[in-house]
Amino acid sequence: MHRVLIIGGGTGGTMLANVLDKRRFEVTVLSASPDHVFQPELLYIAFANAKPNIARSERSLLGRGVRFLQGSATHVDLRNRVVTTSSGTRLTYDAVVLATGIGTDPSQTPGLAQINDTVGDYHTNVSQAQKLWRSLDAFAGGTIALGQAAPVCKCPPSPVEGMLLADRLLRRRGLREKSKLVFFTPYPRAYPAEATNDVVAAQFERCGIETRTFFDVDRIDATARSIVSIEGETISYDLPIVIPPFVGADIAYEPPECADADRFVIVDKETLQVKGFESAFAIGDGASVPTSKAGVGAHLEAQVVARRLGGFSVIFDGRTNCPLDLADGRGVFVVGSFEAPVQKYRPSRISRIMKSMMSKIYWMSLRGTLDPIFRLYFAITKPPKPAR
Amino acid sequence: MNQAEPHTLVDSRGSACPGPITDLARAYRRSKIGDVIELWATDQGVKSDVRAWAAKTKNELVSLDDQGDKVVAVLRILNR
Repeated sequence: MHRVLIIGGGTGGTMLANVLDKRRFEVTVLSASPDHVFQPELLYIAFANAKPNIARSERSLLGRGVRFLQGSATHVDLRNRVVTTSSGTRLTYDAVVLATGIGTDPSQTPGLAQINDTVGDYHTNVSQAQKLWRSLDAFAGGTIALGQAAPVCKCPPSPVEGMLLADRLLRRRGLREKSKLVFFTPYPRAYPAEATNDVVAAQFERCGIETRTFFDVDRIDATARSIVSIEGETISYDLPIVIPPFVGADIAYEPPECADADRFVIVDKETLQVKGFESAFAIGDGASVPTSKAGVGAHLEAQVVARRLGGFSVIFDGRTNCPLDLADGRGVFVVGSFEAPVQKYRPSRISRIMKSMMSKIYWMSLRGTLDPIFRLYFAITKPPKPAR
Repeated sequence: MNQAEPHTLVDSRGSACPGPITDLARAYRRSKIGDVIELWATDQGVKSDVRAWAAKTKNELVSLDDQGDKVVAVLRILNR
């Protein structure tokens, strides 16, 4: 039997484990946490006081025939095919899939750990999201400055969504007149992809949200209550909602050069193989694929690796399919691929409903049972390749 | 170009969302004054974004060319 070791029990790792043929593969999932969190809901916990029960036991999500081990991988030796955990367990494999995800690292931005510890944030965990809700709940007017501290953001629509949901909350509470909302971004516009930005910019204008573009955060000055950019510009705040920088899992690799400075695992964007290692793959947020760090990527990449392990030479096409909540009952999808730039989609109520549906069918989708429906959906909505 | 200069190649070909400017901003954060960043992209929209980025961050856009199937931007970091 071919032994497949999957490191990480998030969206990609869980889906891959479930879809691999157990008659051909002996599948082990090694995950640092016993729980699996539905991360998109952190946004609604932070900005709409949504229910915090968004985790299930990882074991319960894995199908029969998958071995689950709780533990943190600390060393991954691709040359000798050995993975070591923090408790000293050594695991060997025939194929390894790094599905280790990314986490927040506020320590990269001076001053950020301190303010996020006080204010909360919506990309780390449930308790941080609940803390942010309490900060918003106590906000009585003033300036909210919201944005990302570094260029890479898990779920690229989430900064815009947070800003629009904050606007909605303040309107509902009669505080909008007493408040200024400032959105900062290192990109040339509020949403990096131009087609989607047309929708976002119009919504920001309607809501009176100020946008500061090309704003690369250097540090937070808590004494002066301001966010300072690399170029020395400042944004004053009463409530700072700052999305921290992200880093890959704290794993020592052999060879070390298979991960970059942010600890993202460097893979071929189409085959998802770690360079120089036929039997090592990386999927999901922790892989250096030039696409959105989002569940859809992990999902589609898991499918590609499952088929490649099965002997088919399929490749990942870079497809994104991210719903963006416009906080007025409408949503808009961000759809693109390696070959097709992000498409111009009209915002609609149905897109917002589809986003809500995803949170309902997520757990079932991890089983792989909905794959025929997803395949049909992705085929119908495949973005066209532009003519050259 | 003087190859003795620290030269970072950023291959952002195929990136649609969030796009090449994300990769440029990542390289910029790790750069030092005098560094040269060479950005490869396939999205034509990168041209106006790179020009605007260089103007706003006060860095030098050394060249911006179509080279076959890719756009190549060379930037020198003067300010950070």
